Formats: sequence, structure tokens, C-alpha cells
Amino acid sequence: MSTVSTVIEARAIGRVFSHDGAEFRAVDDVSFTVGEGEFVAIVGPSGCGKSTLLMMIAGLEPVSAGVCLIDGEPLRAPQPRKVGMVFQDATLLPWLTAAENVEFPLSLTGEAREARRSRAAALLKLVGLDAFSEYYPHQLSGGMKQRVAIARGLVRDPRILLMDEPFAALDEQHRMKMGEELLRIWTETRKSVVFVTHSLNEAIYLSDVVLVMRTRPGRIVERIAIELPRPRRFEMLGGEYVGRVRNRIWELISMEVT
Amino acid sequence: MTPRAIRILLIAGLFAVWLAASALGWTNPIIIASPDALVGALLKDFPRFAEALSVTLVEIGASIAIGWAAGVVVGLVAGRFGALAGLAAPILTSAFAVPLIVLYPLLLAWVGIGWPSKILFGVLSGFFPIALNTLTSVQRVDPRFAVMARAVGATEMQIFVRVIARLALPGIISGLRVGTALTVIGVVVTEMLASTAGLGYLISYHTTLFDTGHVYLGIALALLVVLVLNYVLGTLEKRLGAWRVVQQEAGQAA
Repeated sequence: MSTVSTVIEARAIGRVFSHDGAEFRAVDDVSFTVGEGEFVAIVGPSGCGKSTLLMMIAGLEPVSAGVCLIDGEPLRAPQPRKVGMVFQDATLLPWLTAAENVEFPLSLTGEAREARRSRAAALLKLVGLDAFSEYYPHQLSGGMKQRVAIARGLVRDPRILLMDEPFAALDEQHRMKMGEELLRIWTETRKSVVFVTHSLNEAIYLSDVVLVMRTRPGRIVERIAIELPRPRRFEMLGGEYVGRVRNRIWELISMEVT
Repeated sequence: MTPRAIRILLIAGLFAVWLAASALGWTNPIIIASPDALVGALLKDFPRFAEALSVTLVEIGASIAIGWAAGVVVGLVAGRFGALAGLAAPILTSAFAVPLIVLYPLLLAWVGIGWPSKILFGVLSGFFPIALNTLTSVQRVDPRFAVMARAVGATEMQIFVRVIARLALPGIISGLRVGTALTVIGVVVTEMLASTAGLGYLISYHTTLFDTGHVYLGIALALLVVLVLNYVLGTLEKRLGAWRVVQQEAGQAA
């Protein structure tokens, strides 16, 4: 593997919530790096703090300990030019069309209308929705809404795309289809992706690296490099290598799910 | 038959019963005026009613302008800051439950019998439901939208104005509908209680003279005002909130 520049570096970051005087360590002493163009998945049982961790990398959640570097600079607030974000819920603004939703981040900084239009059109084409640009969110399926959300996340051409269980609300078929789509988009744009999921198959199928988290306190217990060739194919999921990796992750996670 | 057709039929039916009962002399004209008494009143005293209507419309217009602005601003500000909402919501809720009419004698003593007391009461009638609805609509906005907006680089002001307040808008308009209806009632009722001008004044004046046709004309004009206002607000609500129904259904399915 060639050496790549680091775009995200988490140095011993942690997050403590205090409630009624009791302290709860949601994320504890997490360190990892994400290289340029790398696809990293974070898996773990629910409540292990993987979403909190992602929110900290996005600058949406304060860091109680440690420091997170984006492009070598300490992160203090959201960096919409460097980091795009896709949530589990598409959170499209219901009174705007698909194209206007994609434009929304640009409209906040007063970008010229024409530039916004053409940028949104290009991104809707990238996610395969060019025919639906004038549709409103309630006229789109769940998968289509997430595609619009991905286009919105990419609209400022950030180097990093953070995704918080983006396909968790979809059924299995659409989920696999969207995974494939995401890999195509990733191949075309070469973003660095951090992808939170609780699906082991999804994590292995998509990623270069899987970070496995455990609960109480939420921490990374293992970093597993996925040595599968690209382009990835569904058949690989039935293979012996994937089976071994899946068992290993399951072992790590299920040790406490007793 | 569509619900709309049933509604029209129902109203037409009631109208027909009224016409027939009056024509056949089943009713006491002092208690239930005949249609021609209403038309007679209109022909005979049109200028007086037109003038009264304009007085009432100005009072209602001023009350709406002040009540809407005050209610929406207070609701938005209180909804924006959680601590303030905790403080304001119980006050607004209990104030909403008070029959404000008991305060009217006080208002009369403060500002006199003229139009200011009507406008003041109209504003009070509309303010509480508008402020309360605005407050709860703002608070009920899904916080995930605010997180999304922050992530794409919106400032706190942009998050509030372009996302939260806009998402709350259909609920705010529902409040405006309730508040506007109560404002109209407030203005007309206070005109009936103590005044020298306006539709309410004419209604109560002619009641004492047993001019039931004139009373009906006054009531009909007051109803017309409410219908027009309600229609305008209903259209506004539909146009700005068409997505809301669909959104809620989708939310329940997910």
C-alpha cells in the first residue's frame, strides 16, 4: 500500500456526558487516522458511541478530551467546505425540490444562482437523479432521498464525507443497491469516507478499513484492514475471507453482548 | 356524493327551511326574522351598516396587525430559547384559559369606550393562542434539521430563520387562524357590550328595538368577515404547508 496523506486524525478523543452528577463516558480515548481517498467503516453495537464519535469528527459535538485534526488543523466548529455529512434520516427540507435541497448549503453563503444551479445539476447526475431534480422530498422514495442527501453532502466538494448509518432505514435490497451506488460515487470522486453502520456485511463490503467499537466506555478495540480487491462484488460476501473477518468482528462485539 | 356537495346541500336545506317557515308564517318575526326583513334592512339602512362595517373592519384590521406581530414575535423568541419557553409556556397556556371578557370593564376604565378599547381587547383575544401555537410549533421542529443545517455551515441565525421557523410555519398559521377568529369575536362582542359605533353596536342597538331584520343583517355581515378571513388563511396554510401531511404520514411509516 502506498503512503497517502492523512486527512483525519483523531488523537485520544473522548466525550463525557454528565447527568445528575453522574458521569457517562460515551467515547473514551479513541485514536485513528483516515488517509486521503480511504473508505473507513466504524462498526459496533448500538449505544457504543459510534454516532457520537462521528459527530465529534464533524465538529457537531464537542470533544471532552483529546483533539481531532482535519487536514492537520485542530477542529473547533463544523467545516462545511472540508467535510460533507449524510445522516440516517435524509433531513431534506420538505418545501424545497431535490435540486434546491442540494443547493441549500450554497445558498447559505450567497453563491450566485447560476453557479448553484449547475452545481446541483451535476451532483444530481452523479447520484443518478437528474430526472428528479424538480421533485419534492415527499415524492421521492427513501433511497432517492438518501441520494439527494449524498449530493447535498458533496455540493461544496469537500475532501471528506461522513456518513451516519445512511442506509439503516432502507430495506435490505435497497441497502445493497445503495452500497453499490456509493462505491461508484466514491470511485468517481475519490473522497475520504467515514461510514458508521451496525451491519457487518455492509462495513466489509464497502471499506478499506473497519474500526470495531465496543461499549461502556465506547472505544475502538480493533482496526481491521479489508484485503479484498476492488471493484467489490456481492459474491465476495460469501467467500471464506469475508466469513473469517465477519466472525472476528462478531467475536469482538459479542464478547459483551451476553 | 362528495363532502363538499353534502355541505352545500346542508346549508341550502337550512336556508330553504328558513324561507319556507317565514313565508308560511310559522315563525314569530321578532324571534326569527324573515328574509325580506333582512333585505328590507339592507335597502333602508345600507349607509349606516356600511359605515359600521368599515369601523369594525378597521378595528379588526388593527387588532390583527398588532396581535399577529406581537404573538408571532413572542412565540418565536420564547421558542428559540429553551429556558424562556419553559417560563412562557405555562403563562401563555393559563392566560389562554382565562375568559378575557371579565377584564373588559378594566380596559374600558383605562382607555374609554371608543375604538382603542376594542382594538386592545381584539389584540388580547388573538395574542395568546398565536403566541402559544408559535411557541409549540417551534419547539416541535425535529432537532435533526438543526443539526443538518449546522453541518452544512448555517449560522445560528440562518438555522433559526431559514430552517426552524420555516418548518414551524404551518403550525404558526394554524395559530393565526384561531387567533384571528377570536380577535373578530372579541371586537364584535366588545362593540356589543359598550360602544357607539361598529357592527356589534348596531346588532345590540337593534336588538333592544326588536328590529330582528337589522340584527340579522349585522350578524350576516359579521359572519361574512369571518368567512373571508378564514378563507384567506386556509389558502395560505395549504400553500405553505402542503408537504406537512405527507411528511407526517411518512414519519409514522418509518
